[in-house]
Amino acid sequence: MNVSSLEKYITEAALEVFAAMIFIDITPGEPLTGRDDTIDSSLTSMIGLAGDLRGVLAVHCPEGAATGITGAMLGVDLDEIDEDVKDAIGEIANIVAGGLKTALLSEGTEIELAIPTTAVGKSIRTSGFTGASRFIIPFTTPAGNFGIELRYVTS
Amino acid sequence: MAKNVLLVDDSSTMRKIVGRSLRQAGLDFGEIFEAADGLEALEVLEKEAVDIVLSDINMPNMNGIEFLREKSGRDGIKDIPVFMISTETGDDIIGEAKSLGAVGALKKPFTPDKVNEVLGPFM
Repeated sequence: MNVSSLEKYITEAALEVFAAMIFIDITPGEPLTGRDDTIDSSLTSMIGLAGDLRGVLAVHCPEGAATGITGAMLGVDLDEIDEDVKDAIGEIANIVAGGLKTALLSEGTEIELAIPTTAVGKSIRTSGFTGASRFIIPFTTPAGNFGIELRYVTS
Repeated sequence: MAKNVLLVDDSSTMRKIVGRSLRQAGLDFGEIFEAADGLEALEVLEKEAVDIVLSDINMPNMNGIEFLREKSGRDGIKDIPVFMISTETGDDIIGEAKSLGAVGALKKPFTPDKVNEVLGPFM
């Protein structure tokens, strides 16, 4: 397991969930690896990872992307963050983390997933893992840009 | 005769998407019931005429494996078939689910075509 593998697994899992269940195009960008790199965000869904790789996978969305993506998922028009939006972005985090888990298992790395939690607010940042590595993969969609962050340590 | 379906998932979004996928897959089903976890699912099964259950695994309060274990001990509902729909599709977890009576599994994310392929023979 190396950083480029983790970036690849997360990108592939995101592309798969958007192709299968959301039906809007997304384009991944170059991963951001700087310590202070952030994505503008109004809503963040996080899912804890335990096992051979410990940390947090977080989906960061500005309001427009969050409502646009949820609207595409549910086939409705939304103009503000509500319970459906929080639930939908949480489920995307869950499925992407599940894709990461499956991919890692194929190379002998076992992780367990917690249940996702979602926070609404500007500039939410993950922290709390001393010596952790992190990257954010930015994605472009017609609904707006969003990012998926992995902050992790390995055993 | 169209079968009544119980969708069990802590995500209301996912319950809506599964219901939509059943319709898009062209499957013949009757009423759709919903539950947010295994505990709620057991209550629905005891009250309603459910023919097939589609259940997530990773849920709060009572997860999908605990739900299968509890259901398998209750006369009257123990023979209702359960499909697992989850990001958790490793051999260990699905093997455990099948040992407790699950009849199949569908991996998230899924397309309506995949839903038809996996669930069609049971509907």
